[in-house]
Amino acid sequence: MTAIALRPPEVVMCLERLGAAHPTRLSFLRQLIRRATREKWRVRKHLFDLNDNGFGRAVYAVETSARTYSLVAFSTPLDDEKRSDRVIAQAWDTSYVLYDGLPDAAEIARLEANAPLQEAGRYTRSELVLARANKSVRLFEDVASALARGQQPDEEQLLGVGYLLRTTAVYGNGKFGIADRDEIAARPELAGSFQAEMLTVWLIRSFTLDLVDHIARCRNPAGAVRLAPQLRRALGVGNATGLGMAPFLVRHPLLTHNWFLARETALARVRAEPEAGEAERKIFEQALADLAQRVARWHSDDDRQAAATRSLAADLDRLAENLDRLLAKPQPWDALYRFAEEHFSLEGQEACVSLMLEPHGALVDELGDIMKADETPGHAIDGGMDCASLRQALLDCYSWARAIDFAQPAANARFWYVSAEKLEPRLGERFEEDGAELEQPLATARDALSLAAALAQEPAPASVADFLLRRPEWRHAVRRAQIVAKFPYAEIHDNLIGAELRPVDILRAKLAFFGARSFDPRSDRWLRIALFSGEPLIEDVATMAGEAA
Amino acid sequence: MIDLSLNEVETLCAKAARGAGFSWGLAEDIGRAARRIAVEDENWGMAMLCLAENAQSLTAPDPARAARWRKGEADKPAQTPLCPIRTAALLLDAPLPASALPLAILGVGLPVWLDAMLRRSAMRVARPAGLAKRADVVIEHRAEIERPATGRRGAIDERTLAALNSFAARTYVPESERSRMRGAGGGRVDDE
Repeated sequence: MTAIALRPPEVVMCLERLGAAHPTRLSFLRQLIRRATREKWRVRKHLFDLNDNGFGRAVYAVETSARTYSLVAFSTPLDDEKRSDRVIAQAWDTSYVLYDGLPDAAEIARLEANAPLQEAGRYTRSELVLARANKSVRLFEDVASALARGQQPDEEQLLGVGYLLRTTAVYGNGKFGIADRDEIAARPELAGSFQAEMLTVWLIRSFTLDLVDHIARCRNPAGAVRLAPQLRRALGVGNATGLGMAPFLVRHPLLTHNWFLARETALARVRAEPEAGEAERKIFEQALADLAQRVARWHSDDDRQAAATRSLAADLDRLAENLDRLLAKPQPWDALYRFAEEHFSLEGQEACVSLMLEPHGALVDELGDIMKADETPGHAIDGGMDCASLRQALLDCYSWARAIDFAQPAANARFWYVSAEKLEPRLGERFEEDGAELEQPLATARDALSLAAALAQEPAPASVADFLLRRPEWRHAVRRAQIVAKFPYAEIHDNLIGAELRPVDILRAKLAFFGARSFDPRSDRWLRIALFSGEPLIEDVATMAGEAA
Repeated sequence: MIDLSLNEVETLCAKAARGAGFSWGLAEDIGRAARRIAVEDENWGMAMLCLAENAQSLTAPDPARAARWRKGEADKPAQTPLCPIRTAALLLDAPLPASALPLAILGVGLPVWLDAMLRRSAMRVARPAGLAKRADVVIEHRAEIERPATGRRGAIDERTLAALNSFAARTYVPESERSRMRGAGGGRVDDE
């Protein structure tokens, strides 16, 4: 078997390609589904106390191998004018807590007083995740009405949107007083990246489906029908994601490296396979057909995404036409990838990465275990390094940045800051707005080059520790440089303060690792997506044969 | 009292440290050290507030003094208290040779921070001086590096929390009409 080199970071980590990322079988929700299926997790409705209009409370308990977790859901009336995608909104149709264990009546009452308040409430270490979601108003009503009439809703309209409710925030890791990540990091079922958050969204999906069924049945107890099983499975949970999430990949360089390293290692393993077996070929063909169907329904008003989706559709057609020929070659998956690299758009190339991993679970799924990180080791600075060596490491790792002239206003056009009103990250215009002196340390390329210039002024053998004793303002950049020198996928290879930056590209890369689909940019700084669409329902995994997903 | 998660402790203290004038990199270190103090000491909030309020009066070790430590020579105190954060950062970046330990460092400001900063290293403060404003300390070798504790929270009274939040707020940018319009990009009302 001829080994295949990993795609280098200068290819993988540029923003344009990050903005074309697709979910793969290593994505976090797929990892969760595999574990739940393997361990036959059981879900039961512990409480479903909703009035005829669907307002009230519900508790869904999921029994994993080791522990019980509960989704505690609250559904409340909301005036239409208060329904907003924004994370800083103050009211929601539904709010949720993932509770550690099974809450008693007093705990449910405590949560009912706090969960609908979200940020304004306070929580305890019994709460692992906090979330809220709004109805997709017209669609939710259309579906409820159709079901109440005894009819299934229009499939194309339903799957064109893809979800009945859309989350506007899913918080973990200690936000607003909920449990720290450290508290669950040692539990196998929640140890992987964002597993508690994915479990929450998976359970929310079942609640939304039960909610619409319940409302329809209350409207017409004798004649209503339940949403058909194939439609239930096709629907996911929507999500609106904005700038607040963008700095995450920059602030977690080791984790970012591990996510990309796992995916790139998986791709290299598949490309190195000497042949394509019949079973793998069939799974690939099915995955290709499924994706083509999804792409046909993938709607976005964003011009760039709409054009990319059209290119992707053409790429997938071309892939289908050439599949037999490519898979007959030696190292067939490598031949397929090279064909995509030569002929396809970036959207098509990254879709191919996802498709190629799909039939190869036995070869790649174990890589999911490395997609987590304790950032602590990267925190230590090697002060014994000499300034000349650090400067050389910077010049090597950031060679891509040397083409950027930060003296040009366009290259230095923006600055990241935290808004005093919203306490959320924002992107300002450096030469038009106040506040650049309070810039957050996210100008990675500019800071790396400036650090290299500062180090050039030092005697070559001087130690980094002595340099930092005199110049503590460089501490964050030194720390980052030493991480990036060791972990090549830790850095986004683009200017994060340039006039051309599209933050949605960063958001898409992260969301693809979650397992998101149906990316729909609504501007250059926020987008909508769907999670779990087409995946098994959590209540079905206990009875599913074999290993799904 | 308000019960914060340790992640909230870390985030708040890193922001407050930056607001008090520490560099971004040192502020990250302070956030992590604050988490370690909170695990063991209910006074973590007061420790952070003292650090923020006194940040400007603490001085970094000068290179000549640092060189004496490395050679194992006797320390000479400065007029002003030694910054525990800058001192710990230096010791962590360039650990002292075994021959230099134990090492007495004189006149350390807020030594609880020196202790907390060194908590995950092979060095430790021999007899931690609690919330003393200034103390002489002895740095010694630590045989086993502690694992971070879990299942802990950071309780803080409202007044101290408000004071720390006001330091953190120095890192925030007030909205202008223009930035408010642009926001995070999300729609105002969702009618779809």
